[in-house]
Amino acid sequence: MGASLPPKEANLFKLIVKSYETKQYKKGLKAADTILKKFPDHGETLAMKGLTLNCMDRKSEAYELVRLGLKNDLKSHVCWHVYGLLYRSDREYREAIKCYRNALRIDPDNIEILRDLSLLQAQMRDLEGFVETRQQLLTLKPNHRMNWIGFAVAHHLNSNGSKAVDILEAYEGTLDDDYPPENERCEHGEMLLYKISLLEECGFPERALEELHKKESKMVDKLAFKEQEVSILLKLGRFEEGERLFRVLLTMNPDNYRYYEGLQRCLGLCSENGQYTADEIDRLETLYRALAQQYNRSSAVKRIPLDFLRDDKFREAAENYIRPLLTKGVPSLFSDLHPLYDHPGKADILGELVLKLEQSLKSTGGYPGSVEKEPPSTLMWTLFYLAQHYDRCGKYDIALTKIDEAIEHTPTVIDLYSVKSRVLKHAGDLTAAAALADEARCMDLADRYVNSECVKRMLQADQVTLAEKTAVLFTKDGDQHNNLYDMQCMWYELASGESYFRQGELGRALKKFLAVEKHYADITEDQFDFHSYCLRKMTLRTYVEMLKFQDRLHSHAYFRKAACGAIRCYLKLYDSPLKSASEEDDEMSKLPPSQKKKLKQKLRKAEARAKKEADVKNEESNAANVTKSGKRHVKPVDPDPHGEKLIQIEDPLAEASKYLKLLLKHSSDCLETHLLSFEVNMRKQKILLALQAIKYLMRLDADDPKSHLCLIKFFHKIDSLPTPVTDTEKLIWGVLEAERPTFSQLHGKSLIDANNTFLEKHRESLMHRAAVAELLYVLEPNKKAEAVKLILDSANDLVPIDGAQGNVSSWKLNDCITVHKLLETTLADRDAASRWKVRCAEYFSYSIYFGGIQSSAATSSANNQIQKSAANGAVGLNADGDSSLSSNGRLEKLNALKDLHI
Amino acid sequence: MEAGDEALEMVDSKDLQQQSKALDKLTDHVEDRQLDSSRVQTAMASIYASKEADLQAMRMREKELAAVKINAADIDIIANELEVDKKVAERTLREHKGDAVAAIRHLLN
Repeated sequence: MGASLPPKEANLFKLIVKSYETKQYKKGLKAADTILKKFPDHGETLAMKGLTLNCMDRKSEAYELVRLGLKNDLKSHVCWHVYGLLYRSDREYREAIKCYRNALRIDPDNIEILRDLSLLQAQMRDLEGFVETRQQLLTLKPNHRMNWIGFAVAHHLNSNGSKAVDILEAYEGTLDDDYPPENERCEHGEMLLYKISLLEECGFPERALEELHKKESKMVDKLAFKEQEVSILLKLGRFEEGERLFRVLLTMNPDNYRYYEGLQRCLGLCSENGQYTADEIDRLETLYRALAQQYNRSSAVKRIPLDFLRDDKFREAAENYIRPLLTKGVPSLFSDLHPLYDHPGKADILGELVLKLEQSLKSTGGYPGSVEKEPPSTLMWTLFYLAQHYDRCGKYDIALTKIDEAIEHTPTVIDLYSVKSRVLKHAGDLTAAAALADEARCMDLADRYVNSECVKRMLQADQVTLAEKTAVLFTKDGDQHNNLYDMQCMWYELASGESYFRQGELGRALKKFLAVEKHYADITEDQFDFHSYCLRKMTLRTYVEMLKFQDRLHSHAYFRKAACGAIRCYLKLYDSPLKSASEEDDEMSKLPPSQKKKLKQKLRKAEARAKKEADVKNEESNAANVTKSGKRHVKPVDPDPHGEKLIQIEDPLAEASKYLKLLLKHSSDCLETHLLSFEVNMRKQKILLALQAIKYLMRLDADDPKSHLCLIKFFHKIDSLPTPVTDTEKLIWGVLEAERPTFSQLHGKSLIDANNTFLEKHRESLMHRAAVAELLYVLEPNKKAEAVKLILDSANDLVPIDGAQGNVSSWKLNDCITVHKLLETTLADRDAASRWKVRCAEYFSYSIYFGGIQSSAATSSANNQIQKSAANGAVGLNADGDSSLSSNGRLEKLNALKDLHI
Repeated sequence: MEAGDEALEMVDSKDLQQQSKALDKLTDHVEDRQLDSSRVQTAMASIYASKEADLQAMRMREKELAAVKINAADIDIIANELEVDKKVAERTLREHKGDAVAAIRHLLN
């Protein structure tokens, strides 16, 4: 390094490198300038100066200098290395790897470059390359601990666990017997635990257990030691020892569900689907009764029996469980119990049980069979539970009666309003739901949760501006406090994107969906620093776990929702492209001159206003940035805050494909993924990829109406194509011919027959009938009337649902809305659509969409739902589309509250 | 109110500074500790073994695949229609002895 310089400058050059490593950039810069005064063309110094500037946020100068440096000294590994580092800092990892490779060609044994390369290979999951680089590093510097560990981890990641064990044992061979010294005990213990978990993972549980016992004294993390031991014991089938150990673990933490599960496994009382024989239930009951005596303060031990008990025993246990919690007033009781509603029969029991409590409380003031009087709040919490119970069972009217009764009983409990808001949302009155959530919010302006819940309801009711203003009450946009984007607040971005999508504002919707996608890219990025840090700190088990988590990061539900949302936006953009500027001009020219002038003026004014607002905002944020911290932290201004540029793309389908690829890779077990893949690839005329989507759909759920739709549409399209001419077409035909017989639905049948067979199989289901009707119209357009009739003839059967004490309509609100849209647009039968609407308004009397008589659409104001609570002093929100924050009073209240805290 | 606010902010920023310092430290440059080098040599020798056999088997398979005759146009069609990398298309085609339909059906699953 700096070899071509005279001694004085060479020393200065070393100083630059040292300053860079210790983050003393100013010092480094000064040294660089001193050298450059004498040798203005010195490549390595130029490059290092650039690298230093890069760390001081002077990007463009940095690239210029580094490139100039490289040009002046192409044979220098330093210049190439620096160029790689620069790319790395901008996350251009592929480019960075190329640069490192060039540097290594000049200096193949350079430790620093090899190490940097290995980090990138770990990040990019070039696992074979990672192993190779790590091996080189170990060969060059075998007396560094980190190189041994790194080589072992590399082999583990490259699915060669037993090799990793060999390496770790070889490494242990280099250590003295009295190792480790006091200050390295933790790290050494971690290494041992990692090695043992590796042995377990590659199928050597005996060796793992032996090693565990041999090195027990050297492992510091005693809890991890025990958990590791018990896991191996289970693998070895040594259940008696396992049972003992699980009981020890339970004394340490009697609320850990995994310990209870493990204990059950050791006793042979574990079932995957939660089904047990009568004998097993008896044994479980005895077990938990004993445990409950031992750990009387554990809530897990009380709750778990509700999962396996049945019938009368369940009734008794549930009552004993519920009573004290209602007395205590635990608002989360229903969310604690709601998984039980999926067990057959339990919803009924719970409903009856709590109703009985309600009656007794009302008549005697106490629980049945008890002489003690309950406090008045018990009745309120009982009503609160019942409201959620009926909501869950689809009996929205009863749910509302119960919750109103509770509110009348105690009008000051916030949770009541939140639940009422949720019931109304489920019943289809989103506007009233938002108004009620706002009511709840106003009752405690310092509670972030009710604020967030309110924001979400507002977004669901498409009141985006209002939602934004409400959200901002808890997010300051400045230097130290971040806004919703910086906080990666994804539920907000998704709800907002979906609302914009419903309103047809594709640009803004895309902006939000892509923001979520960016967060995921950032999360992937965030692992980078850990590649070196974890190896050094020896937190190997957590490190490998983190890498595995990152590998399936994109299968997370939020990412899936965002990607699906974005793809839907792109599909819509493709189906109805934006008007180009000239077309807009055309439209303008049709107007009379006077109007044209007015319109133009209006546009210009709006533009000027928007610009001014943006300027003011920027200035404000800049000012805040300078004053608060000494270091100026400039936040780049988003040049396209509303996504206007996002919708002006050339090829929406190519964009959609980008996100589709991620979905196919990470969420291939989701129906939605392949439905979208079908839509995109049919539009792209990629027949084979559409066929692939169909194959997945059939495999995942051939009975789903949407799968059926895609299947028939696909082959209908294929049948309408001309005979193949080109080689490509011929090849595709060959594949189709070979594949068609694999679809059993189509065996020896025409598509029309296949459609009818599907109808026969699912005659009772509304959505299946709708799919069949749509296809009937597609296959035989002259049979439109028949298709419409098929839908209108569907019967809304009443079906008994657990816990509802009576029958509930089998149709779901959202399905009926979908069917209405189908009648209105695809089948284009206005008359049938309006008949459908009238019919559904009856079934869903709270639905705004269908204009049900109890919805706020019919009663013209959401206030009627909250009139009773006006006593709280909250201003009823005018929810009919007024999007301003209705009173400044609230903001002032919030400020006043802050004063109070200080 | 004013003074209180400032005090709060001071505490706030001090806290934040500490946090960011701690975060900054994560990426600091750290010198590695040395191990006993005489023991290292024996350990090194023990881990290099048995790699050759695997390599040999892999080379044989590669040779076999390289000998398969394939239609270059098929590679382009597969890569284009299934939107896969050309290398993947070529390899799958070779693995299926040049049968394009079989190769595509394999990729579809």
